[in-house]
Amino acid sequence: MTAVIAASHLSKWYGNVLGLNDVSLEIEEGITGLLGPNGAGKSTFMKLVTGQMKPNIGAVTVRGRRTWNSPALFLDIGFCPEHDVFYEDMTGLEFVSGLLRLYGFGPAEVRDRAARALDIVDLTKDKDRLIRGYSRGMRQRIKFAQAVAHDPGIVILDEPMSGLDPLGKRKLIRLIKDFKSEGRTILVSSHVLPEIEALTSRVVLVHQGKILAQGDVPYIRELIEAHPHQISVRSSDPRALAARFVGDRSIPKMTFGEDGRTLVVETYKRDDFFGRLAGVVLEDGIEVEEISSPDDNLQAVFEYLVGK
Amino acid sequence: MSVKRSFGRVFGFFFALGRKTGKTRALALLGLFPVVLAVVARIFLRGRSGDMAAVFTEILMVFFLQLYVVILSLFYGTSVVGEEVENRTLSYLTTRPVSKPAIVLGKYAAYSLLMFVMVGLGLGVSFFILNAPRLGDPALYATFLRYLGVLGLGILAYTAFFTFLGALLKKAIIVGLVFGFGWENVIQYFPGSTQRFSVVHYLKSLLPIHRAGPGGGGRGVALLLFRLEPTAPLVAVLALVAIAAVFLALACGLFRTKEYLSED
Repeated sequence: MTAVIAASHLSKWYGNVLGLNDVSLEIEEGITGLLGPNGAGKSTFMKLVTGQMKPNIGAVTVRGRRTWNSPALFLDIGFCPEHDVFYEDMTGLEFVSGLLRLYGFGPAEVRDRAARALDIVDLTKDKDRLIRGYSRGMRQRIKFAQAVAHDPGIVILDEPMSGLDPLGKRKLIRLIKDFKSEGRTILVSSHVLPEIEALTSRVVLVHQGKILAQGDVPYIRELIEAHPHQISVRSSDPRALAARFVGDRSIPKMTFGEDGRTLVVETYKRDDFFGRLAGVVLEDGIEVEEISSPDDNLQAVFEYLVGK
Repeated sequence: MSVKRSFGRVFGFFFALGRKTGKTRALALLGLFPVVLAVVARIFLRGRSGDMAAVFTEILMVFFLQLYVVILSLFYGTSVVGEEVENRTLSYLTTRPVSKPAIVLGKYAAYSLLMFVMVGLGLGVSFFILNAPRLGDPALYATFLRYLGVLGLGILAYTAFFTFLGALLKKAIIVGLVFGFGWENVIQYFPGSTQRFSVVHYLKSLLPIHRAGPGGGGRGVALLLFRLEPTAPLVAVLALVAIAAVFLALACGLFRTKEYLSED
């Protein structure tokens, strides 16, 4: 698949502070999550992608064109900025309509598109209220509306769920997922791992201006060969189970859960362990109630990668 | 989209927005001061049309030319770029298919028109209140249009300069204040060519000088034209247009090439 957004050896300084360090990345169609703690470089990357800044070294292109001073590119790009800022003296409708007019749409089309965008974000009944009177959730939704009202093929969302309560987050996650359709590219950033996990399995991990890893979560997990996998087995006799794996050099550690029924195994060879576990269950008749991988998720992967 | 159409769209956006802001309301209220003064003068100087006309030329025109136009141009001009950066709304504009010069020019034009309306209303109402006895005289209207034209050119030139300052500096208002109320108020009184390094010199060169008769009463515009060695009117107009054009071009060029980073 051809990359929609491509960064090649991208570096960006803010004075003496390095915002991005030699980042090379290709983003394809679909939803991609940009994940990292505050200050990792996510917003810097998004500002470079949306042409608000120019790289010090390297290049960033959208559909093969550099983004700095390329206004024509934005016919097909929608951007939702990080900050909670608006033209506060405008109503929601005026805000979305006014920005839509900058695309050159005629009055009727502006009206239709604005109405549709406000309907998508469920702000139709509040469209004539001043934005300064909106709640935080409404402000985030109107920001999303202005980003998608012109029906772009590429949507860049910088921390779209910042400041939202759980219900607001759920609404916005649903909106983003609904908006994704065939051929659309959505890049969304967050420092909150469950938000990204709820949206996509395709993740780019960013830390201190560098890309730590990218791909599907399981794929990233597999990359971390040096870090043992955690597998939790709840059974009728966890001690008997543990006794069968003592001495296995691929298992550096085993612990028992507080419930007295769980054995947590750390192993470098996950597939081998599962194979042996099946054999032990059959041979010894130990009842296994549940098997799970507590660290087969983004949280554990990220924490390990950033060395926390 | 062509620069011309982009300009039009940006103009429409900011003209609609500018009308609603608190800043516009506050500055429009300031523009009522000459109207209030005109009404007071009309009441207390009833029957003394010469004195009423002098109130206009020697007090109100000083207010308009050396205070109101400068303040308006300073606040609106520096905010063409500066306000977007400070309020972090710049990304709403630069992530649209409009060129950066079109953003500067469109917003400049929208604010200039807003200011022209504010000045024009205050000027018009106060002028005709104070010159009410002469409303039948066609020359009065020519005088009014001349005053309006001078202030209009002042808006264009000052706003262009302050737009450039706003694109260049973070705290452009401070430098603008020094220029508008320091430099302009001092240099214009220097003899010889030095006074030509002020915008107000060219504006004053375009003011009508009245002796007796419509719009001027029995006195010249003494206060305003003190120490003025006027430039020929056509040259003055060209100079003001050139000032506006040069600083707008510089502002557009700067805005196109500079990165504007928010403070976080």
